[in-house]
Amino acid sequence: MEFVHEGCQAPCSIKGIVIMMENAWLIPLFPLLSFLILLLFGKRLKEASAYVGILFTLASLVYSILVLFERFSEPTYGTNFEWLTIGDLHLTAGFEVNQLNALMLVIVSLVSFLVHTYSKGYMQGDERFPVFYAYLGLFTFAMLGLVISPNLLQTYIFWELVGVGSFLLIGFYFYKEEARAAAKKAFIMTRIGDVGLFIGMILLFWQTKSFEYKEIFAAVDAGEISTSMITLTAILIFIGAVGKSGQFPLHTWLPDAMEGPTPVSALIHAATMVAAGVYLVASLFPLFAASKTALLTIAVIGAFTAIFAASIGLVQTDIKRVLAYSTVSQLGYMMLALGSAGYVAGVFHLMTHAFFKALLFLAAGSVIHAVHTQNIEEMGGLWKKLKLTGPLFLIGTLAISGVPLFSGFFSKDEILAAAWEGGHPILFLLALIAAFMTAFYMFRLFFMVFTGEARGSQKHVHESPANMTYPMILLGVLAIIAGYVNTPWFGTFLGDWLVDGNEALAQHGHIEGPVWIMIAATVVSLAGIYLAYLMYYKRSLARNWLSGTGDTLHTIVLNKYYVDEFYQLTVLAATTAISYFLRFIDVFLVEGLVKGVVGIVQGLGRAGSKLQSGQVQTYGAVAFIGLALLVVIFAFTGGYLR
Amino acid sequence: MSSIPASAFLALALILFCIGLYGALTKKNTVIVLISIELMLNAVNINLVTFSKYGVAPSITGQIFALFAISVAAAEAAVGLAILIALYRNKKTVNIDEVDTMKN
Amino acid sequence: MNLSAVLSLLVFSPLLGIIVLALMPKQAEKAIKIVGFLGTLPALFLSLAAYLHFQWGKDLADFAVAKQWIQFRGLNVDEPYFAVNYELGLSGFQLLLVALTAIVATLSAIAAARFVKKEWKGYFMLFLLLEIGMLGVFTAENLILFFIFFEITLIPTFFLIGKWGYFEKEKAAYSFLIYNGLGSAVLLIVIMVLFAKTGTTNIDLLTQMMADPSAPLSSDLKLGLFIALLIAFGVKLPIFPLHSWMLKVHVQAPPSVVMIHSGILLKIGAYGLIRFGMGIFPEQFDQLATLIAILGVINLLYGAFLAFIQTDFKMVLAYSSISHMGIVLIGLAAMNQAGVQGAIFQVVSHGLISALLFFLVGILYERTDTSLIENLGGLAKGMPIAAGFLLAAGMASLGLPGMSGFVSEFMAFLGLFEEMPWIAAVGTIGIIMTAAYLLRAILGMTYGKAHREFTGVLDLKGVEFVPVIVLMLLIVLIGVYPSVLSSPLQTTLETIMPGLGG
Repeated sequence: MEFVHEGCQAPCSIKGIVIMMENAWLIPLFPLLSFLILLLFGKRLKEASAYVGILFTLASLVYSILVLFERFSEPTYGTNFEWLTIGDLHLTAGFEVNQLNALMLVIVSLVSFLVHTYSKGYMQGDERFPVFYAYLGLFTFAMLGLVISPNLLQTYIFWELVGVGSFLLIGFYFYKEEARAAAKKAFIMTRIGDVGLFIGMILLFWQTKSFEYKEIFAAVDAGEISTSMITLTAILIFIGAVGKSGQFPLHTWLPDAMEGPTPVSALIHAATMVAAGVYLVASLFPLFAASKTALLTIAVIGAFTAIFAASIGLVQTDIKRVLAYSTVSQLGYMMLALGSAGYVAGVFHLMTHAFFKALLFLAAGSVIHAVHTQNIEEMGGLWKKLKLTGPLFLIGTLAISGVPLFSGFFSKDEILAAAWEGGHPILFLLALIAAFMTAFYMFRLFFMVFTGEARGSQKHVHESPANMTYPMILLGVLAIIAGYVNTPWFGTFLGDWLVDGNEALAQHGHIEGPVWIMIAATVVSLAGIYLAYLMYYKRSLARNWLSGTGDTLHTIVLNKYYVDEFYQLTVLAATTAISYFLRFIDVFLVEGLVKGVVGIVQGLGRAGSKLQSGQVQTYGAVAFIGLALLVVIFAFTGGYLR
Repeated sequence: MSSIPASAFLALALILFCIGLYGALTKKNTVIVLISIELMLNAVNINLVTFSKYGVAPSITGQIFALFAISVAAAEAAVGLAILIALYRNKKTVNIDEVDTMKN
Repeated sequence: MNLSAVLSLLVFSPLLGIIVLALMPKQAEKAIKIVGFLGTLPALFLSLAAYLHFQWGKDLADFAVAKQWIQFRGLNVDEPYFAVNYELGLSGFQLLLVALTAIVATLSAIAAARFVKKEWKGYFMLFLLLEIGMLGVFTAENLILFFIFFEITLIPTFFLIGKWGYFEKEKAAYSFLIYNGLGSAVLLIVIMVLFAKTGTTNIDLLTQMMADPSAPLSSDLKLGLFIALLIAFGVKLPIFPLHSWMLKVHVQAPPSVVMIHSGILLKIGAYGLIRFGMGIFPEQFDQLATLIAILGVINLLYGAFLAFIQTDFKMVLAYSSISHMGIVLIGLAAMNQAGVQGAIFQVVSHGLISALLFFLVGILYERTDTSLIENLGGLAKGMPIAAGFLLAAGMASLGLPGMSGFVSEFMAFLGLFEEMPWIAAVGTIGIIMTAAYLLRAILGMTYGKAHREFTGVLDLKGVEFVPVIVLMLLIVLIGVYPSVLSSPLQTTLETIMPGLGG
C-alpha cells in the first residue's frame, strides 16, 4: 500500500500539527469496533452492550470535535491508498477532512452518541437489546465513513452501507408484518435512487478517469466535460439523493420507515442518513453548479417536495408520521436551497434540522414511551404529566416552525433568501406556503398531544428516565443556539468558514436577502401557529372547517395523494406482469423447445424400431440393396462408368 | 482352356450369385435358404479362381482362398443346420417367416 | 525453482482419498466421512501454498509441467507428428479458480458429512473424483487434456445428482447429462477441428497461431468455431435459453453437490469463455461483443424477473444464478480490463456466495422439511444465527458494498458503460430487481410472523459453522480488500488484452 499525501503542503509538513486530522480515519472505526464486539459477544454482554456502544461513539464524538477544532486553523487534509487495480486504472480509497466533512462528523457523531444514550432507556428490556446496539454501531460506522469519503466510489460504498443499517433497524421488530414491508420498501426504493447514482458515477468516471472529487471538479472547471454530460451525470447523481433523502417521487419509504424503533427514526430518518442526499449534493456542489438545468431540477424537486409533504403532514394522526412528513418537507427545503445555489443555506439548515428534528423525535419517543400509543387522537393533556418532555418538544416545534430567535428561523431565512436571490419567485412562494403549513401542522401536533383533555386510556404516565431526558436537554439547547453560528446580526461565521479557501464555492457563500423576507417568514410562521392555536387549543374554529368544505381533497391528502397505490398499480403490477410473461416463455417456449427436440428424437426412434421386424430376409434384402446402391454411387463418382 | 474368356466365368458367377440371392431372400424354408447361401459362396469362389488366373497380377492366392472358403462354408453349413435343428425342436417349424425373435 | 511435480500432485491428490476409501468397509460411516474430508485437504493446502508462492513475488510459471504423452501421424513419413502432451500450468486466473475449487470442495465435504444420509463410501469416492476433474480443468494447458478432465467432471456429477438427490433426482440427472453431453460434443468438434487444422492443442500455441494472420483458418471458420464454443460453454454457464437443466439440478441435487455445482462447475463455462473464447478467438469475440452483451443483459434480467415470482427458495437461487452469470457475460462483452476483471471477480465471488446460500438452504430444508417461501416465515425467531447469515449472504448476493458481489458487479458495469452505455443502462435494472427478489424471498422466510410452529427447529450448531464462517469471511475479505484477487489477475489481463487490441 502506498500512501499518497495530498493537500498537505507547507503548513502541515511539520509532523504533529495535524495529528488529529491525520488519524481521522479512526472516527468511523470506533463504531465499527462496537458493531463487531457486540455481534460476537452481545449475547454475553446483555444490557452492558449499551455501554460498549455509548463508549465507542463517545470516542468518535470527542475525536470529531478535536478534528473540527483543528480544521478551524489548518487547511484541508486528505490521504489515499490504492484500493483496487484494474490494469492501468488505479482506484483509491482514503479520507479527507474539509470544512463540510468536519462539520458533518460532529453532527453525526453527536446525534449518534445522544441516540445511543437515549436508547439505553428506551429499549430497556428488549430481548434483542445487544443486536440493536450492534446495528446502531454499524450504521454509525457507515455514516461516518460516508462523511469522510474523498471520492465518489467510496461515497457510494458507504452510501449503500448506511442503507443497510437503516434497513436492519427499520426491520428491527422483524416479527411485525409492517416492519418487514417497511424495511423491504426502504431498501428497494432507495436502491432505485442508488442506481441513478451508480450510473452517474460511472459515466463521470469515463469522462475524467477518476472518482476523486478533486479531479472531477478540476475537469469540470477546465471545461473538459460537455455541458450536456454534466447535466446528465448531475441529474443521475441527484436521483441517488432523491432516493436517500426521500424526495418526491421516491419519498414513500420514509414515512413507512417509522416502523423502526423511535431512536432509530431520530438518528437515521431525521438527522443523518436522510440528510446524506443533501450532503451528497453539497459535496458535489461544483459539479451541479456547472449546469443550470441540474440546479433548476434540484430546486424544483426540492420546492415541490417541501410543499407536497407538508400538505400530507397536515392531516396525519400518527405522531411519528407527522414528523416523518415534516422531515421530507424540510429535506425538500434543503434541496431547494442547494438548487438555488445557496450552498451555505442548505448546509446550515441541514445542521439545525439535525438538532431540532432529532430532538422532536426523541421527545416523541419519550411520549410514546409514556403512553404506549402513536395515535395523537388518543393523547392530550400531557403537558402536566411530562414536565420535561413537554417544554423540550415545544422548543423543537418552535425551532422547526421558524419562530424568531430559534435556530430554524435563521436557516429557513437563509434558504428563502437564497430562493429569492436565485431568481425563483415561484419556488420562493411555494417555500413560504410550506413554511406556513409547517408551523401549522407542528403546532397542531403539539396542541393535540400536550394540551386539552386526556383522550384514550392513559395509565401510569410517567416521565422518562434520566438517560433519555439528558440527551433531549442537550439537543434542546442546541436547537436554540445552533442558529447563531450564522446570522445576519451576529456575523456569518459558518457561511464564511464553509467556503473559505474553496474557489468553486466562493460565490455560493452566505446570501444576504432583503429584510422583508425575514419579516415575511416570521409573519407566515406566526400565522400558522395562530391558526393551529385557534383550531386545536381554543377550538374556536371547528377542526373540519376546511376539510368539511373540500371532502375529496381531504381524502386525497389523507391517503398521501395515492402515490403508494399508484406505484402498486403501475410499477409493481408491470414487474409482476413481465415476470409472469417471462415465466410463460420459460415454461412454454424454452421448455417447449426442449420437449420438441425430445419428441422428435423419440419419434425417430419409434419409427426406426418399426423397421426392426425380425424378418431375416427383409434385413438381407435391405442390406443388399444398400450395398448395390453404394456400388453404383461409387462407380459413378469414381468415374468408372462413363 | 484359354479360348474361354474371363467374362464367361464372371457371367456364370453372376448368374449363380443372383440365383443364390433370390433364393436366400425369398424362400420360406430355411433349408433352402441355407442352400442358396451355399450357391452365393460358390459364386464367389468362381470369382476368386477366375481372378487368380486372369487377374491383373495372377497368383495362386485366389485358389487357396477358394479352397479356404469351401472348407469354411462346410463348417458353416454344419453349424447352420445344427442351429436349424435346435430351432425346429423349439418352434416345430423351419419356416423362416415365423422366426422373428430378433424383433424388439 | 522447479516445482513441476507440485501441480500434478495438487490435481491428483484426491486420488489418495479415493484409494483409501476403496479399502474401507461400507458401514464405517464416521471414518468414511473423515477420510472424505481429509482427502480434500492436500489440494487445499497446496493451492494455498501456490497462492502464497505468488504473493511472495515468485513466478507462477515455476509450476508448469509438460510431458510427452500421445503422438501419432499419418502413413506418410514426411508428415509432422500430431502430439498431445500432458501439460499443466498455472496463471493468476487459474490459480484463483484452483484455490476456489479447493476451498469449496473442502467445505462441501464438510457439508456432505452433514447432509448425505446413505452410501457414504460411494458418495465420497465420486466426490473426490469430481474434485480431480475440476482441478484438472482449471490447470490443463492443453485442449484435449482439458476435455478429458471436463468429461471427468460430468460422470461423477451425474451419479451424485441421480443417487443422492431429492424426489426428482433421476430426471434432473438425465437432463444434466444430456445438456452437458451435447455441450461437450460441440466442444469436442471444435477441439478436433482446431487440432486437425493446426496440429496442436496447446492453448498458448493456439493463441499465438490465431494472432498470426497467416494462420491456416479462414475467418468464417473461426467465427463458426467461436459460435460453437459459445454454445458449448453457454450450456455450462448457462446462457439463456440453454438454462433449463440447471434449474432442475439446483432444486434436486443434494446441497453439498449444489455447492460444488453452482460454486465451481458453472464457472467452467465462464473459464472456457475467457480462456478459449476470448484467448483464442479475440477477433471473433470482438465481432460478437454486442450480441454477447445483449445476451448478458437478457440473462441478467430474465433470471431476475423470474426469480421475483418463484415460490421455492431453491428456484429463486437457481434463477439468481442465471442472473448473476449474466454479469459475467456483460463484463466479458465490454472487452476492456475493467469488464474482464469484473467478470473474473464475479466468477469467484458468485462461487463463494452461492456455495454459502445453498449450504444455508440445505440446513433450512433439513430442519423444516420445506424450502417453499410461503411455508416458512419468522424463522429469525427460532434460528436467529442462520437467519442472520442468510440475510448477510443475500446482501452479498445483491451486491452490497463491502462484500465481494459489489466489486464484481461494479467492475463489470464500469467496463460495459465505457463501451455500450445504453445496453449497460438497461442492465442496471437488474441491480434493482436483484434487491427486490432477494429481499422478497429472504424476508419472506425469516421476517414476519411464523406461519406454523416449527417444533425442534435448531439453529446452526457445531461443524455447520465452519463452511458458513469461512465463506462469509472470504466474501467480506474480497469485498473490503479486493487486491487479494486483483493482484494475481494483472498478468493474466495483460496477456489477454493485447489480443483484444485494447
